[in-house]
Amino acid sequence: MPMLIRLSDGVFSQVQDDFVRLGDDEPVAGGDVIVSLGRLLSGDLVRAGGGRLGVWLEPEDEVEALAGRLDQVDLVALAFPKFRDGRAFTSARLLRERLGFAGEVRAVGDVLQDQAGFMVRCGFDAFSPADGSTVEAWAAAAGRHRHVYQRAADGRAPAFADRGSF
Amino acid sequence: MKALTANRLSDGEVVFWKSGAWVERLADADVFVAEDTAATAETSARAQPTMAIDPYLIDLVETAGFWTPVSYRERIRALGPSNHERHGKQADGGDAVEALRHAHGAARSSGRVNLIRRK
Amino acid sequence: MYRYDAVDRAVLADRAAEFRDQVRRRLSGELTEDQFKPLRLMNGLYLQLHAYMLRVAVPYGSLDPRQMRALADIARRFDRDYGHFTTRTNIQFNWIRLADAPEILDVLAAADLHAIQTSGNCIRNVTADPYAGAAADELEDPRVWCEAIRQWSSLHPEFSFLPRKFKIAVTASPHDRTAAKVHDIGLLLRRGRDGATGFEVIVGGGMGRTPYVGPTLKAFLPSDRLFSYLEAVLRVYNRHGRRDNIYKARIKILVAALGAEAFGREVEAEWEKIGSGGDLPGSEIARIRDSFTRPELADSPAPGDFEVRRAAEPAFARFVRNNLKAHKLPGYAIVDVSLKGFGETPGDITADQMDVVADLAERFGLDEIRSTHEQNLVLPHIRLADVHTVWKALDAARLATPNINLISDIIACPGLDYCALANARAICVAQDIARRFEAPDRAEAIGELKIKISGCINACGHHHVGHIGILGVDKKGEEFYQLTLGGSGAEDAAVGKMLGPALPIDRVTDAVEAIVDAYLLHRKDGERFLDTLRRTGDAPFREAVYADAH
Repeated sequence: MPMLIRLSDGVFSQVQDDFVRLGDDEPVAGGDVIVSLGRLLSGDLVRAGGGRLGVWLEPEDEVEALAGRLDQVDLVALAFPKFRDGRAFTSARLLRERLGFAGEVRAVGDVLQDQAGFMVRCGFDAFSPADGSTVEAWAAAAGRHRHVYQRAADGRAPAFADRGSF
Repeated sequence: MKALTANRLSDGEVVFWKSGAWVERLADADVFVAEDTAATAETSARAQPTMAIDPYLIDLVETAGFWTPVSYRERIRALGPSNHERHGKQADGGDAVEALRHAHGAARSSGRVNLIRRK
Repeated sequence: MYRYDAVDRAVLADRAAEFRDQVRRRLSGELTEDQFKPLRLMNGLYLQLHAYMLRVAVPYGSLDPRQMRALADIARRFDRDYGHFTTRTNIQFNWIRLADAPEILDVLAAADLHAIQTSGNCIRNVTADPYAGAAADELEDPRVWCEAIRQWSSLHPEFSFLPRKFKIAVTASPHDRTAAKVHDIGLLLRRGRDGATGFEVIVGGGMGRTPYVGPTLKAFLPSDRLFSYLEAVLRVYNRHGRRDNIYKARIKILVAALGAEAFGREVEAEWEKIGSGGDLPGSEIARIRDSFTRPELADSPAPGDFEVRRAAEPAFARFVRNNLKAHKLPGYAIVDVSLKGFGETPGDITADQMDVVADLAERFGLDEIRSTHEQNLVLPHIRLADVHTVWKALDAARLATPNINLISDIIACPGLDYCALANARAICVAQDIARRFEAPDRAEAIGELKIKISGCINACGHHHVGHIGILGVDKKGEEFYQLTLGGSGAEDAAVGKMLGPALPIDRVTDAVEAIVDAYLLHRKDGERFLDTLRRTGDAPFREAVYADAH
């Protein structure tokens, strides 16, 4: 099973990935499944056996398409086809801050530990690293910056708020 | 005739392939007559990603008894910047440097073009 | 000047430590070059023809003496005793070893300097008016906004992997000294109807393969809404900018493809959703603004023997005519420091010269030094009474060439002598032209004439906005040069038009001389070159250059 790292209450841990990604033509047999956005929107899904439902978004998929359906979804997987493709950072922030999604937001694809900090700030809480990162390496990478200058999805106080309290 | 060149990872220095290792002077480098020996060297070089970055083959022409790059871009790499005579390999002086300075027949660095296409 | 506090210093230290670890992982092979390259670019480290090049940020073109001395220290310890100032007001070191980069970043951080986001597909250094805080015609100091943008854009978690690089300029003066209209975002400070400050927002300017003068996206953006609006623009760009073709990935392409109005509507819609929660609190702007106020610049000092010296010493008078600009406070002057000495590489400065500039800023200049996008430096606050002393010191250090804005004040990128992207050399072309027009009387008689030279279509030499632009091209393996006329990077921004077929390197200087002669022939009533060109059109100049073509 590929590595899956989850962030929960500020702690990173390695977890088992119970989700299975289904192709658009594969039947839903039960268990936790991830389907494409197109399949989710087409409404042909039958949730069998109480399994959890995840949706996979490519960078060009608009996250707003999930509006109104997020209560049906347990997981949103946002893809990085190449790690330089930064669209998923926007998608994650919008999911959290605008659509109010509280389920799992997972970074999949060409995911490198050097992006861990940015991903956490944008609201990702699960990660499938492609660079062989251990949980320790991932946690260390995510925690490298003591201060941040901007508000983002993680609720960390930006520097100007820190300064206000001096 | 071809040589294999790259930039050294640790300091970016222009280097040339010689017998499985990298040397700093083109005059010391292996010169390949046959396509297959050149290609073999390139493959070996690419298998050393912590030594040198993005090796590629360059075309050579003979000038004053030395093998010199056909393209003026590669001559600049082999010599150093033309605005600072004491910077770069040209500071060594000598016959090899003089030959590089006087090499004619500039053409596009086909090795570099291939490199870009490959990416 | 803005003073870094404990938070700002921690940000630099943490980034330097992060980069140290990334270098370690690259040298060990844990990171491949493909993985490492974007990471090192985000810290300004390029691989060039001969070595690595480190581009150190000079945030909005402002340095203090301590920082300038730190740069001199870097030049001596890690490079070849010199640095190069660029068209984005940063400084480059050409002979860097990857293995030294982590230590260099630590040395920089100790002087509140860094190389954060000086390359890569992220928000780059903001360009400001080099005369900020000193210019008589400025609305307010634009550096307040530049520093706020610097912080907001540094390690921005959402906008660090954009489709392509992103460049912002801020100007507060009717005379634009930042080339704002050819930036991805140009912010022109304006006074609103009720007297509040705001920005005219230009989006989608740029140079390179497809130059554009950017359209005005928003005529007046209240200044307290700047950051939510920037977020909206960047978000639309991050989502919709092209990622399939690096030559079509800048925001200018997106704006042109959608049309400015449609693009503007996308931004407005996003902006509305962001709301004022995305804005910076007024207290933070006030804190930054406070750091730029200058109580010293309250009283007008007496000019001393400035006028007497000017009348008595022709060389000093020439320096004053060309390299001094009026300061907002009587008794002060803005002193331009030319890095365009004859025979020198445009924009280059030795470590010893850096120390001279640092000393002068410290002794006479309220600790302020600026770098310009035309590759010169500025001492923005020099008392008239001290100008002669400053001039003598600059002159002794070969920093007093009296050629600012004249024909020999040429912008040139490093070109094929250094840059892996270049097709042709730019430095030697600049030097040859400058030599041809070395005679100072002749140069002054010609007047304002901005020549800008790029060694390839990436246009780092800003040739598109040169009065005479020169673009190096590779024609059958030889260095050839395409001339353009009529570009401008000022408030009258325009992209230059091609004059005719590319010329071989040994004909470029003659062509420039032919253009100058044609200008002098046709000029009326103190017209600048650009004015004459706009009046007559290209024809006389084309004829002059290509007269002997078959």
